Amino acid sequence: MGPGIEVGQVPRAALPINPAFQWSVGNWMDHFYDGLKEGKLLASKCPGCARVYLPPRMICERCFTKCEEWVELPETGTVESYTVAHVKVGANGEFEELPQPEVIALVKQDGADTCVAARLQGGSASVGMKVKVVIDPEAESFVNMLAGYRPAE
Amino acid sequence: MRREVAIISYAQTPYEADANASREMQVLKVAREALQAAGLKQEDRYTVVTANNDYLDGRTISNMRLVEPAGAWMKNESKAEMDGAYAALYGLWRILSGDHDVALIIGESQASVYARWLPGIMMFDPTFDRQRWLLNEASAAALQARAYMNAFGISGEQVAGVAAKNLDNASLNPLAHNKLAGADAAKVLGSRMLYDPLTEMMMAPYCDGACAMVIAAGELAEKAERPVWIRGVGFAHDSYLTERTLKEMNSLRLAAEKAYAMAGISDPSSQVDLAEVHENFAHEELMAYEALGFCGKGEGGAFFDSGVTRRDGKLPVNVSGGATGANVVCATGLARIIEAAMQIRGDAEGRQVAGVKTAVATGQTGPCAQESVVFVLGGE
Repeated sequence: MGPGIEVGQVPRAALPINPAFQWSVGNWMDHFYDGLKEGKLLASKCPGCARVYLPPRMICERCFTKCEEWVELPETGTVESYTVAHVKVGANGEFEELPQPEVIALVKQDGADTCVAARLQGGSASVGMKVKVVIDPEAESFVNMLAGYRPAE
Repeated sequence: MRREVAIISYAQTPYEADANASREMQVLKVAREALQAAGLKQEDRYTVVTANNDYLDGRTISNMRLVEPAGAWMKNESKAEMDGAYAALYGLWRILSGDHDVALIIGESQASVYARWLPGIMMFDPTFDRQRWLLNEASAAALQARAYMNAFGISGEQVAGVAAKNLDNASLNPLAHNKLAGADAAKVLGSRMLYDPLTEMMMAPYCDGACAMVIAAGELAEKAERPVWIRGVGFAHDSYLTERTLKEMNSLRLAAEKAYAMAGISDPSSQVDLAEVHENFAHEELMAYEALGFCGKGEGGAFFDSGVTRRDGKLPVNVSGGATGANVVCATGLARIIEAAMQIRGDAEGRQVAGVKTAVATGQTGPCAQESVVFVLGGE
């Protein structure tokens, strides 16, 4: 930088590195996704405190122990919280307006002690609302087989 | 505490959307100013802890070229990839160990460098949530806001009121980046709706900046002019956001309980004179009132309405403008500690509150305030 030239006036270089990572989803999430392929919601259960994790966790943080047990959960659950999203984060990291607002809900599946963050269909939501899971085994990406929720009634 | 440790100097850059300086020059400025104000030179013995983040800086080991501007060449230096309040905590530990008497703490990042909301998405579960692209820091915060508001009957006006208070407070802080004198709840509620119930003005926008603080024990602390003593410290780490209740800030509550026990504080609402709270989103300040024991559970909204936390109230919170006024990821919590120390020392100029003897400062890292640090500071 020459004398008297301010940083704002010098070129700004983009960082041309876009590293891709290949995570293993792990045995427990693999089992969870296998369950969704068959339309089942599979959760892990802690042998110590009986806490039920959905999505499944391999380790119970409270008992410092491995969750070896599996339980199949019913399709029903309760909205613990939600937000009406008017935007999403675009590829440039800024908010982009959605064509239609959508509801993102935190749902506690009946029988589970943790929540799933997912889209809620139907346009309206309230805390305490009863919902049913929507599973799409044909989803383009396996991470979206748990497609979302819809009102139970 | 095993040793008496004091904040003896500090420095901050102005906080700006796009600073006309590289991060290295920002760090050089605050490190030199803080060391000089402490009467230290680079050849003196001190340890250095910086807070910065690889994802925000676009390189691994984001502290590697901060060694030179931090005055850390050939010194004991390392990084906290967390909020700067953690860097202060690690520096404190080095002094408490007895191996060091002096630590230089630095926090920095530049929002003009990274793609605003993308690095935060990297915090979410890569085997599920991250891939689904629904959760980011703002949508997660909105889920927490709704959970809290619904549980305790907190209104949108109360949340907006916090943002308005902090924007107005920031107007008195010459270093703040996001400010609006006379802001009111209606204006905040009427700003762009992003993730209902959170509007754009309820979010603390990320910006560029750096801050530095020197803490010391022993002779340097004893001889310092107007030392600000670290009376208590606590920190706690809560579960991933989908695996805990979001209607309370339990990591902050636990951190505060530990810090208060160390500082001998049994009734925070009467013993604390001022607080600087790291609120990335306006509702977090209301939740922090509860977690810090300033009011009872679920009473954050009513406590705010009583006016106690306004700058002319009995327990002013975020007189600096808080994170709303300037949110530099990795520096925001450290800046809260510095602002609280400034109030105790009487250095806060146009925003000085009279008679601040004991102050609390908080820092947070992770979605929905997953991890929290609390510092209790006191004057002579």
